[in-house]
Amino acid sequence: MQEKIKQHLDELFADAPKTRKAMELKEEMTRNTIDKYQDLISEGYQEDAAYQNVIGSIGDVTELFGDLEEKNLLTLSEADRRKKALLTAIAVGLYIFAGVVLFGTTLLADYYAINNTLALVLAGLVCIPPTCMLVYASYMYPDYTKREESLVEQYKESRYSGNREKAVMTSISSIIWLLTLALYFLISFTSGGWHVTWVIFLIGGCIQAIVTLVYSLRRRN
Amino acid sequence: MSITSDILRGHTEAIILSHLLEQDSYGYQINKDIMKKTDNRCELKEATLYSAFRRLEQAGYIRTYWGDETVGARRRYYSITEEGHRAYQSYKRDWEEAKATIDQLLT
Repeated sequence: MQEKIKQHLDELFADAPKTRKAMELKEEMTRNTIDKYQDLISEGYQEDAAYQNVIGSIGDVTELFGDLEEKNLLTLSEADRRKKALLTAIAVGLYIFAGVVLFGTTLLADYYAINNTLALVLAGLVCIPPTCMLVYASYMYPDYTKREESLVEQYKESRYSGNREKAVMTSISSIIWLLTLALYFLISFTSGGWHVTWVIFLIGGCIQAIVTLVYSLRRRN
Repeated sequence: MSITSDILRGHTEAIILSHLLEQDSYGYQINKDIMKKTDNRCELKEATLYSAFRRLEQAGYIRTYWGDETVGARRRYYSITEEGHRAYQSYKRDWEEAKATIDQLLT
C-alpha cells in the first residue's frame, strides 16, 4: 500500500517543474502521507478506507507548483550549452571540410603525382579533431556530486549518469564506424582487393558488439 | 464555520510558528497536534500547510532539516529561528489587539 501511495504522489507531481525543490516537496509529502496512513491503520481503519482517506486529504497540489520554479538541475547551464553547440558545429564543419579535402585531392591526383591513398589519409587526418571534439562535448555535462543519501539524490544521479553513459557509448560507436570506413577504403585502394575487403564491415560490427558488452559488464560491477 | 476557517487560514503561519516554539516538528505531526488541540474540529489542507512552510522558510522564520530515515522517503523537520521567535511575538501582540477590538465592537 505504501507503494500505491508513492505512485499516487508521483502522478500528482508528474506536471511539477523538474527541480530539486519539487522533488523534496514530493518526498516530504510522501513521508507525511505514509505516516498518516499508518496511524489510520493502527486506529483500526481498513486498508482501502485508510488509503482513500489520505489520498482525499492531499487535495490539489498544482497550486504549490508555482513556488517550485528554479534552475533545472538535470540540464546544462546556459554557458555549457552554448559551448557544446559551438563544439558540435565546428566538428560538423570539419567533417564537411574532410569531404572537400578528399574530393579536392582526388581531383588534383589527375594532374599531379598524388596517390589516391594520400587523399584518403589526408581526409582521415582531418576527421580526427572533430571526432575528439564530439567526444569531449559528450562529457561536458555538469559534474553532479552526490550530497545526500536519499531516493531523490539517487534518482538524480541515475538520471545523470544514464545520460552520460549513453553519450559516451554513442561517441565510441561513431569512432569505431569511422575507423572501419577509413580502413575499408585504405586497404581496398592499396590492395585492390575490393571483392574481399567488405569483410572489414563485419569485423567492425563484431568489435562494436564486444565494446558494448564490455562496457555494460563493467557498469554492472 | 466559514468565518472560523477563513480566520484560521489567515493565521496558518502563526499557528505553525507557535507549534515550533515547543519543539521541532514535521508536517503531519503539526497537523495532528492542531486536530488534537481543537478536538478534531480543524485540519489544515495539505496545500495550505506546505505553502505556509515555503513562505516561512523564505522569510527566514523557520529552518528545515531532513530526518535520518534509511528506508523509503525521509521526514522533513522544521525548527524555528531567532527571527521566527520575534515574528511570532509581534504576531501574537497584533492578534491580542485585534481580538480586544473585535470583542469591543461585537458586544
